Amino acid sequence: MIGSFLASTWLFWLLLSVGGLLFWRSRSSQYFGFVLNRYLLALLTLLLVSAIVFSLMEVLPGDCAEKYIAYKNTQGETITQADIDAERVRMGLDKPLVHRWASWITDLTLRGDLGFSCAKRQSVNVALGNRFWMSFAFCIGGLVFAYLIAVPFGIFSAFMINKPWTDRNPQHSSAKRLLNTVWLFVQKAIDLKLRIISYLGLALPNFLLALSIILIYVFAGESTPTGLFSDQWRDQPWFNESGFQYGKLDDFIAHIWLPIFVIGWSATALQLQTVRALVVDETNKLYVDAAKARGVSGVALWAGYPVRHSINPLFNSVGFDFQRVYNDLPIVAVVIGLTDSASLLIEALAMTNDQELAAAILFLVALVVISMNFVTDIVLAAIDPRVRRSVLG
Amino acid sequence: MIDQENLLQINDLNVSFNTDEGSVQAVEKLCMSIKPAEIVGLVGESGSGKSVTAKAIMRMTARNAVVAKQSQLLLQHQEQSIDIMRLRGDGLKLVRGGVVSMIFQEPMASFAPAITVGDQIVQCIQIHLGYSREEARAEGIRLFDRVGINEPEKRFDQYVYELSGGMRQRAMIAMALSSKPKLLIADEPTTALDVTIQAQVLELLLELREQTGMAMLFITHDLGVISKVADKVMVMQKGRVVESGSVKQVLYSPQHQYTKRLLDALPHLSDLPYAPERQSPIVKVEDVTISYPQSGAGRNKQSFQAVKSISLALPKGQIIGLVGESGSGKTSLGKAILGAASISEGQINYCGLNGDSSIVSNIVFGAKAKKVPRKALAKVAQMVFQDPHSSLNPRMTVRDIIAEPLEAMKLTRSRAETDQRVIDIAKRCQIDVTHLRRFPHAFSGGQRQRISIARALICQPQFIVADESVAALDVSTQAEILSLFKQLRDDLGLTILFISHDLSVIANLCDWVCVMRQGELVEQGSVRQIFLTPQQQYTQQLIAAIPLLDNHQKAIDTEQSEVELLSAAG
Amino acid sequence: MTTIMNLFGRAKSKNNTDESYYTAGQMALIKARFNRKLSGRIASWILITTLMLGLFASFFSPVDPTIKGADSDYRRGAPQMVYFWDENGFSLRPFTYTYTKEGAKIDLKALAGGGLAALDALTSSGALTSSNQNKYKVDQDKRRYLQFFVESWEYSFLDLTPIGIDFEWRTKLHLFGVEQGQVHLMGTDEDGKDVFSRTLHAIWITISIALVALVVKLFSSLIVGGVSGYFGGRIDAVLMAITEAVRVIPPIPVYLACAVALAQIDLTSVQRYFAIAVVIGLLDFATLGRRLRTHILTERNQDYVLAAQLSGASNWRVIWVHLIPSFTSYIIVDTLINFPYVILAETSLSFLGLGLTEPVNSLGVLLQKAQDPDIQQNMVWQFFPVVIFVVMVMAFVFVGDALRDAADPHSENK
Repeated sequence: MIGSFLASTWLFWLLLSVGGLLFWRSRSSQYFGFVLNRYLLALLTLLLVSAIVFSLMEVLPGDCAEKYIAYKNTQGETITQADIDAERVRMGLDKPLVHRWASWITDLTLRGDLGFSCAKRQSVNVALGNRFWMSFAFCIGGLVFAYLIAVPFGIFSAFMINKPWTDRNPQHSSAKRLLNTVWLFVQKAIDLKLRIISYLGLALPNFLLALSIILIYVFAGESTPTGLFSDQWRDQPWFNESGFQYGKLDDFIAHIWLPIFVIGWSATALQLQTVRALVVDETNKLYVDAAKARGVSGVALWAGYPVRHSINPLFNSVGFDFQRVYNDLPIVAVVIGLTDSASLLIEALAMTNDQELAAAILFLVALVVISMNFVTDIVLAAIDPRVRRSVLG
Repeated sequence: MIDQENLLQINDLNVSFNTDEGSVQAVEKLCMSIKPAEIVGLVGESGSGKSVTAKAIMRMTARNAVVAKQSQLLLQHQEQSIDIMRLRGDGLKLVRGGVVSMIFQEPMASFAPAITVGDQIVQCIQIHLGYSREEARAEGIRLFDRVGINEPEKRFDQYVYELSGGMRQRAMIAMALSSKPKLLIADEPTTALDVTIQAQVLELLLELREQTGMAMLFITHDLGVISKVADKVMVMQKGRVVESGSVKQVLYSPQHQYTKRLLDALPHLSDLPYAPERQSPIVKVEDVTISYPQSGAGRNKQSFQAVKSISLALPKGQIIGLVGESGSGKTSLGKAILGAASISEGQINYCGLNGDSSIVSNIVFGAKAKKVPRKALAKVAQMVFQDPHSSLNPRMTVRDIIAEPLEAMKLTRSRAETDQRVIDIAKRCQIDVTHLRRFPHAFSGGQRQRISIARALICQPQFIVADESVAALDVSTQAEILSLFKQLRDDLGLTILFISHDLSVIANLCDWVCVMRQGELVEQGSVRQIFLTPQQQYTQQLIAAIPLLDNHQKAIDTEQSEVELLSAAG
Repeated sequence: MTTIMNLFGRAKSKNNTDESYYTAGQMALIKARFNRKLSGRIASWILITTLMLGLFASFFSPVDPTIKGADSDYRRGAPQMVYFWDENGFSLRPFTYTYTKEGAKIDLKALAGGGLAALDALTSSGALTSSNQNKYKVDQDKRRYLQFFVESWEYSFLDLTPIGIDFEWRTKLHLFGVEQGQVHLMGTDEDGKDVFSRTLHAIWITISIALVALVVKLFSSLIVGGVSGYFGGRIDAVLMAITEAVRVIPPIPVYLACAVALAQIDLTSVQRYFAIAVVIGLLDFATLGRRLRTHILTERNQDYVLAAQLSGASNWRVIWVHLIPSFTSYIIVDTLINFPYVILAETSLSFLGLGLTEPVNSLGVLLQKAQDPDIQQNMVWQFFPVVIFVVMVMAFVFVGDALRDAADPHSENK
């Protein structure tokens, strides 16, 4: 009895106990007070998101009853308007929006139940399965790719931004001036080229990029890296009698790089701009000059001072970066033929009008973004004295 | 070749900047030498080239700066003469922290915010002395102790924002000393500090010179400070040294016009005005308390009282000085008088306004009458701000800025009338009327402040609050603005509440002085009383901390002995 | 004063020109700083050229881009090169050749005798595919000279009727054309519509949809940010909570949902087009709104705002005369930086078939064709809009970058 009650309300107790724990700790620590504050704020934002998403889905045509009846129709039954109305009442669709939203959000907070998809005729949780995690992995992969490129190049670009094209220092001999000028020119040219490449990722729409890559494969006569696996490996299990299937892993990697590369490249431009601006900001601060004046030089100076101080704010926005990357994923998924949650989302929105599924996916994305923001907020407050000072006073 | 006696020798230093308008000469034909354990003062206003000189010694000039080929900067190190301009790579560490080290004007901005103060010092010691981490840490803590930071171990592991202003500057000094330099360059080390802390820091620097035999290049705009610390002094103006010699020569028998002007800006305690006639008050501050809600986390929100129940009467037609260190609540009080800060208790009473049909004769507002009669007040009371950069809207022409009150309240009938009044007031404030079409960015600090004053005066107010209005200006510009204030008082009968932390300015300008500390009024009296015979202990400390030339010090002593004689006779 | 400056050799080299610097407003200063950035300057010229080509598309295009102007004699035709000389000699006036359709090379005899097997062979040989059906022969002896400022199809050069002024300037003048027939610089599509002309027309449609979206976005952001920043307190808290919630939802799926909903309503293509722009703009208030709020919060505490209040200025005057001008430059920069993103949103929707659709000429519609394997393999010239699109977006990004650097007041002392 109690066991089944707990089993059907587990998520609620989990959320409540985290809150309680934070509240208890916050009585003795200002930091945990801040964490509790953020936690409650995150829950509130989630509530708002669910309301927005839920009401947005109302604009999609059709409702559950119509879909159910349409399904019945295919089974050869004749249906009247009265049947549809009766079905609506049975499903509770005649109730006002707020009422339906409340019941949806209650199921969600009590046991993580995302609802029932009428178009797919199965629970949303089942329909999604591992597909959301798959998209999550793509996005994280894309983000890591973008960071790996944007952070070093952004830092490099920041140091180039105010360098002159020529060296005119009279203290240098003319040979040295020429040498320096050539060196400066090379650096500036590299900087410009890097920026053009990274902006190209932004200027080329994702679908075109993915298409062009596929086209190259087509012209080269190779099999295209669409989907997640090639036909050969698709139905093979990861493990069989001869142990782990490395062939499948190879095949997987040969396919997975394409979506990651495509969405990663387009995220690079924005990241590069951000890193560049952050590092430039820090470089102009007096403490960098002061460190230079006490003999700190070279890598120790740049890495230890401006770069170190600009990295933390960069990770501040990791949640929104995730959102931006996920934003691009659906179209890429359509072009490449992925079967993750992003392509489900497109299918649900543009083809089957599956409100419940679409709402659930959007909500999950928002959940990931909000959790990431929450984590970066509290981690930064713990490790960065500047943040600590501004949030804790 | 360097003279054996000298630690640093500069021959014919020329620095220019490549700007969009062409090359601008920042330092011209500068020659200088510093002997071991000698303190050389380098005096000049902003843009005179003194900081550029310091940066040239450390080879840290800005990217667009060009040091001319013939310039020679020589440093004596281990019996050898080193040409600073020839240093490269690791050799640069000699002038950057090794033999030469530097303390900056703003300690808050000179420490990296996300690294503990201690770690930055440890890094510096490790670079120059090659100590292990533990040794460096022990040395750093020892230095902290030595520069007078209490609880050195605890402070060592704190971040810069956790230290107080004076402590930050001490930490900065500890940092500069950590590499055992032979020459310390101090760039305005006391300018950002309150007067009492300023005195302590100067004392510390002198003490360190005694103990370590370190030479110092002391850069400042304040001749009072120089007279306290320096052996030799060089006065710079527009990139050139206009006068140099021993402190005695330069400060007591100045030859150059410019040096004389700088000296005039010091407080002249010998000829302070006697108490003026007591005038009826124009504004009365009645039991005013101002409290701000403090941003604290969650439940334990507290309010902070910036001004604690102050009563004050401001006499008509006089310049009243309001003195206090930062955080004493003087600005809050000034704003409250103009209705720009909300008053939680008490009231402001404009009781002595000169009657004119267009002016309400009596304006009262405060905790009870919350609504400030903004328009009526704007006609009689105005403000001149501290920062001439942020107080003028950068998107408006000077004419529009000055005309703002007239246009906002529609006080004139036609545009021509507005223009005429703008021109009249601009002439009075000595603004070139041909410049009225320009935007504020075209003006220097002093000219901007004149614009700010003109705006305050355009609707002929009777009362003006000037909040640190000369703090951002150079000494000689300060003098011009101060004399403008005096002239306005005499010509227009203006009452001016002059808020400042700078006692020299107060001494040279005001008739009546009020001293504030931590939101409370400590003492008030005529300028002569306050400066020569302060009654309260806090005021005495403040006055004692003013860096004065010795002959001015004598004036105080005479006055005090006179008072003592009088009181003995009485 | 000047004499003293001369005495010390510090009189600045600029003298007559400085009055213009002193009387230059903020915008002029930003412009001056912008002009120092080489990459920004080059990008801005490219951008202006593209925009002009788009704005006066009809003047620059030799052929009517709609189905009316479709060249039935030159369907699926490759780009026609423009020459100044060939083996027949040099000509100062550029020329192209006459292209004529080759007759279909179908072996009718074999077909007649061979029955079904022959039909199969014919189909699989690919001779029936439209690309093989549309092969053109170049007749080098028949030159067609380019004519400039020619009269051709009529269009309205300037039409003020939409904004309520009864004025329309119709003309037939075009920059160039050929004497007989049509010239297709970038080839034609499967209906014979000129790709070059379509692309030029598409530029302006895409830009205008982005403009509408950005104006709407500006209004929604201004309202949210302005109300939140100026009033503060509880209103601020509620508005910011909603903004935060909107900010975490990925926008393209939301646009998609709205586009699907719009598809239910019976709209003309023009109405649909505006509806989509408005939706994109309305939902994109979160980021700019938040920034404006922060901007107002900091600007509100500037001394000059207090000075205005003390001068007796009303709240209304403070907002309009002081606060709003203080962020116009910021808004302009932000709008420019956001242009590419809005354009991309439009193309993404069109790509999924939910934005604009044929026969409207938008870059999104033209880009969507790139999906078609037939075009990928047989009509590569239809990728011309892609090139224009990429160049335009790149130009926007570089101009935005340079403008951001120029508008940043801190860059003054660098």
